[in-house]
Amino acid sequence: MHTVGSVVAVVPLHGEGILPTGTRADVFREIFWVFLLLGTLVGVVVIVYMFYNAYKYRDGGARAGAVDGRERGAADDRPTLGELPTGGGGGRKLFLSFALSTVIVISLIAWTYGTLLYVEAAPTEQEDDVLEIRVEAYQFGWAFTYPNGHTADGTLRVPQGETVELVVTSRDVFHNFGIPELRVKADAIPGQTTTARFTPSETGTYQANCYELCGAGHSYMTAEVVVMEPDDYERWYENTASNSETPSNATTANSTTANASASVGGDR
Amino acid sequence: MNDETRHRTEPDGGHTTDGGHASAGERTTDGEHETDGGRATDGGHATAGDELDPSRIDGHADAAEEAFPPLGSIKRWFVTTNHKDIGILYTLTALFFLVFGGVLALLMRVQLWTPGGNFLSPLSYNQAVTAHGLLMVFWFLSPFAFGFANYVVPLQIGAKDLAFPRLNALSYWLYLFSGVLFGVSFFQGQSLAGGWTMYAPLNLPTYMPNVGATTAILALVLFVASVTVSSVNFLTTMHRMRAEGLTYWRLPLFTWTILLTVWMMLFAFAALLAALLILTSDRLLGTTYFAAEGSGSLLWAHLFWFFGHPEVYIVFFPALGVMAETFQTFTGRRLVGRKWFILAMILVAVQSFAVWMHHMFLTGINLQVKTLFMATTIGISLPFDLMVFALIYTMIKGRIRFTTPFLFSFGALVLFIIGGITGVFLGAIVLDYEFRGTYWVVAHFHYVMVGGVTALIGGLYYWFPKMTGRMYDEWLGKVHFGLFFVGFNLLYFPMFLAWETPRRVIEYDPAFVTWHQLATVGAFVLGASFLVMFWNLSRSLFVGEEAGDNPWEFATTAEWAVPSPPPLENFPGTPSYGSGSLRFLTTERALTPGEGSGGAPGVADGGTTAAVGGIDHDLDSRGLGGHDPDRSHDPNHGHESHASVWPFVVGLASFVVFLGLSGFRDGGLPPGMEGGIYAGIAVVGTAFLAFALVGMARQRFRGPAGPFGESWPFDGVENTKLGVWIFLASDVVLFGAFIGAYVFTRVAHGWVDWHVVPHDPTPGLVNTYLLLTSSFSVVLALVAAEKGSRYGLLAGLTATLVLGVGFLANKAIEWNELFHEGLTLSSSVETSTFYLTTGLHGAHVLVGLLIVLYMMGRAARGAYLDDERPVEYFGLYWHFVDIVWLFLFPLFYII
Amino acid sequence: MTSTKLYTAIYVVLFAMATAQVLIEFAGLAYWVGVAAILALSSLKAVMVAGYYQHLRFEPPAISAVVLVGLLAALVLTFAAAYSIL
Repeated sequence: MHTVGSVVAVVPLHGEGILPTGTRADVFREIFWVFLLLGTLVGVVVIVYMFYNAYKYRDGGARAGAVDGRERGAADDRPTLGELPTGGGGGRKLFLSFALSTVIVISLIAWTYGTLLYVEAAPTEQEDDVLEIRVEAYQFGWAFTYPNGHTADGTLRVPQGETVELVVTSRDVFHNFGIPELRVKADAIPGQTTTARFTPSETGTYQANCYELCGAGHSYMTAEVVVMEPDDYERWYENTASNSETPSNATTANSTTANASASVGGDR
Repeated sequence: MNDETRHRTEPDGGHTTDGGHASAGERTTDGEHETDGGRATDGGHATAGDELDPSRIDGHADAAEEAFPPLGSIKRWFVTTNHKDIGILYTLTALFFLVFGGVLALLMRVQLWTPGGNFLSPLSYNQAVTAHGLLMVFWFLSPFAFGFANYVVPLQIGAKDLAFPRLNALSYWLYLFSGVLFGVSFFQGQSLAGGWTMYAPLNLPTYMPNVGATTAILALVLFVASVTVSSVNFLTTMHRMRAEGLTYWRLPLFTWTILLTVWMMLFAFAALLAALLILTSDRLLGTTYFAAEGSGSLLWAHLFWFFGHPEVYIVFFPALGVMAETFQTFTGRRLVGRKWFILAMILVAVQSFAVWMHHMFLTGINLQVKTLFMATTIGISLPFDLMVFALIYTMIKGRIRFTTPFLFSFGALVLFIIGGITGVFLGAIVLDYEFRGTYWVVAHFHYVMVGGVTALIGGLYYWFPKMTGRMYDEWLGKVHFGLFFVGFNLLYFPMFLAWETPRRVIEYDPAFVTWHQLATVGAFVLGASFLVMFWNLSRSLFVGEEAGDNPWEFATTAEWAVPSPPPLENFPGTPSYGSGSLRFLTTERALTPGEGSGGAPGVADGGTTAAVGGIDHDLDSRGLGGHDPDRSHDPNHGHESHASVWPFVVGLASFVVFLGLSGFRDGGLPPGMEGGIYAGIAVVGTAFLAFALVGMARQRFRGPAGPFGESWPFDGVENTKLGVWIFLASDVVLFGAFIGAYVFTRVAHGWVDWHVVPHDPTPGLVNTYLLLTSSFSVVLALVAAEKGSRYGLLAGLTATLVLGVGFLANKAIEWNELFHEGLTLSSSVETSTFYLTTGLHGAHVLVGLLIVLYMMGRAARGAYLDDERPVEYFGLYWHFVDIVWLFLFPLFYII
Repeated sequence: MTSTKLYTAIYVVLFAMATAQVLIEFAGLAYWVGVAAILALSSLKAVMVAGYYQHLRFEPPAISAVVLVGLLAALVLTFAAAYSIL
């Protein structure tokens, strides 16, 4: 508990090992494990304490004699029918526990808030390196549009080690684009865009799912996410330039506000 | 029974004009209508006393009061307005919906035995998911808690019944029929299939064209009507009708939780009603709120979650109350830190309205708002820590008896701790991003919600002896708990382990098969545990041991001081805590709880004589018996009414109206026979409803009369007036949410670029003049009534009617012109907001005018001159409608 | 309570303020100044109707509090929701 309390004091110390850094997957893993450990610890302590008291102060049983003796002494202390309620004692203990839990919870959240700012911060220096890909959800699939205007349906290809910014929207209903293994998630809302940034660290094929109930095909609304060697990706990307199907508007629509509805074509 | 002397001199007692005549169409089911009765006074009638029977004075032949059938009669359950009967009806109906929702859950779990199985079609699965969520949250959880609230709260606060018993029955019937309507939706092609959150725009006919989906939404509207009536009723009761000495700090904790729950309900459900009415309009009339690109989806999310998060506490608080009561009773200890516990709950109740956007962290709302709502979310979790610790520390130095109710409460606390800790994970936005839409959320909220159910089941065992007079079988109760607790954890804990499964899918990663199969097994164990309960409780009803007044040692609250089940009017005298503990005051002496229950022979509900003191004689001497055919048969009956069939009839009629409406779509009807049938049902239903409302309004019905012990801070505000004001407060939220929806949409589309629909503010200005003048004429009518001038009153009311009709006519002309310009409801989001918001206001005007018309008829026969309060209460409503227009006019016409 | 004269005076004031709102629209003020003035007038009118016609001035303050809590809830919803997308 003591170490957790001290976390608050050091939150501003970015990059000194207290705030998790790295890809979103790394950040998530680290925070999740801290929460899980601490949560389990607190939960076990509290619940064990509950059971301990429930056992210790159980009625009757082997201690019947003792209870009777004590009861006689404390007879006036038991609630009686029709009495007006009074606040029981034990206030100090209550406040101590309350204060402790408050410290734990607030430190945890303050700590993760630092991470939130880190995750949401736009990488200022390598702004140009960000690969922006537009993701358009529809019932029931995903269309990906690359900066050169190339559009692919159902498969997202990204280079390993490069920061990718997904600009996500929807053609029809509310969807949610998520790649669980890469810890990427963004709502896909008709008429507006949201963004999600991630840096895949390992090549491979992953699966993207829809995380918002969107109709009959919701369960099967998946896409393949292929993280490629940067060179392979470059080669593949070069070849796509020629067969771009639609003029790109992805680069202009990077607003996260609901105002940016102009560029989105609906199908209604 | 009342202390007669005080009864006559208390200026504030008297009339409970439990009027009714609620029309279910818009938001018209309650409050304002309570005023129009005017004759439904009890004999006491303020200071005037014996001779006054307004119905006689105005020469108006009211329908005779109904006789109250005995407990065994089927008819009893259709006409009863007694809070205990209604409580039992709520409990049983809620248990039915538990089974309904539970079976759907089992279907889902069977489906999930293997990934991508084909037990259900994807659309059936989506419907099961949706209906399961809606049924459990709306039709099971809250009503189940309100079964207890109905039964126990009046007993705990020392009231003979709720403030408006007939409206209480109406709440129940609206609830039941809303559930039936929801059931009907499955037979109209396909029910709602978009999840209980009903996200837009999937909830629109474009994506969910079936009539059944509309019906399900209308069922929710009807349900909200029931909740609103109920909230007004409970709030009036709890604030105005507490026994002497029962100040707020001294209220039992279960009553406290219900009080806070009802306050949250009043405002949260008004916001939901706004969302549902807009959705209904989008589906039935073709407005385009939720279809609007760039604002519709988020608008729904805001409105829904503004309701949705308080709803979590609405559902959980009563469970907390049960836990507090049972912990105290079965540990033999008073709650540790009681005041802090209450303050913590108040804090949660207030703050619950400022956390809703944590459901929307991924929707692209700005970082500042996210930060703010993260802070409030974490803030709201802290009071719960305090409550949990308070409950745990209450056990210390106790004499804990592990009866079934305690086991369930204890288990609920364990589950709630797990649910709470896993909820903190979601408060961290970075983690929330990943948990969004996964089984982590499913597992977390089931631990919290079904944790609450666990406590409520404990409450069922706790109050079962009180409600039935019989003891359940303790051993079977423990078996139930064992199966329940094992089944629960087997069902929901594996969901944490399989958390990466997306929600509401039938296809999932085969790596998680084991966890999902465990969960399915757990679901069946959990389901089976309820079979034990149903067997135990229904068998005990007949062969259970007789339970005494107070089967639980160390129970303190007043319901245990009366027989099990309590007699019709609850207490053997006027309950009072004035002396520092509970006494029942009669005209002769004070009974202590033991004496009261032991001495009073009236054991059976509706049973035989419990004549206390000389009250019956006293009543007879007032010459009331002549109006009351029922009294001669039932001397225990006192002077209050307990029977009315009209709530049932109004509920049924509302059901028919809504069923008819469900066929409409985009301002039209389905072609051919089908459309004709729906239109026919709607027309017949409306006529039926009108008949029912008039019948209810004309019936003479007397609710509990004052004086009441504690009414602070509403001393001197008569029950009906307070009811009207509370209803108006919820109406403020309804209109506020409509205006909020307009402001949000306009901001999303660019405030200044917005196209103001009427090009000319003149019709709006004229309507402002008309409404202002009509407000003035209502004031004049009231002044005339106070002065006893029948013609002044009639002139005032007539002027109001004429001005109101003028308002509507002017609006009709204006709309007609706009329609001719091609500006229809579905032209754009601008026209949608304009027509719907001002249309809702117009509907309020229309309802007001119908009331005026009714009052004119009665005023012509001389009503309201001796008692002008109905005119005053109508005025409150009418001025409110006026005030709303004062804002709608500038917002929609000039800025 | 109060006399018919007072009610009449209030009625006249309300009537005048309603007219003033429309005049403000055509007075050529800056847009947001106009909006502020118009809404301020609406609020003032609402307070007068509630205070006198609904005689809240003469009721226990708790009743006004009930209505104001509802109003506050609606305002929180309106402003927080609108702000979230700015």
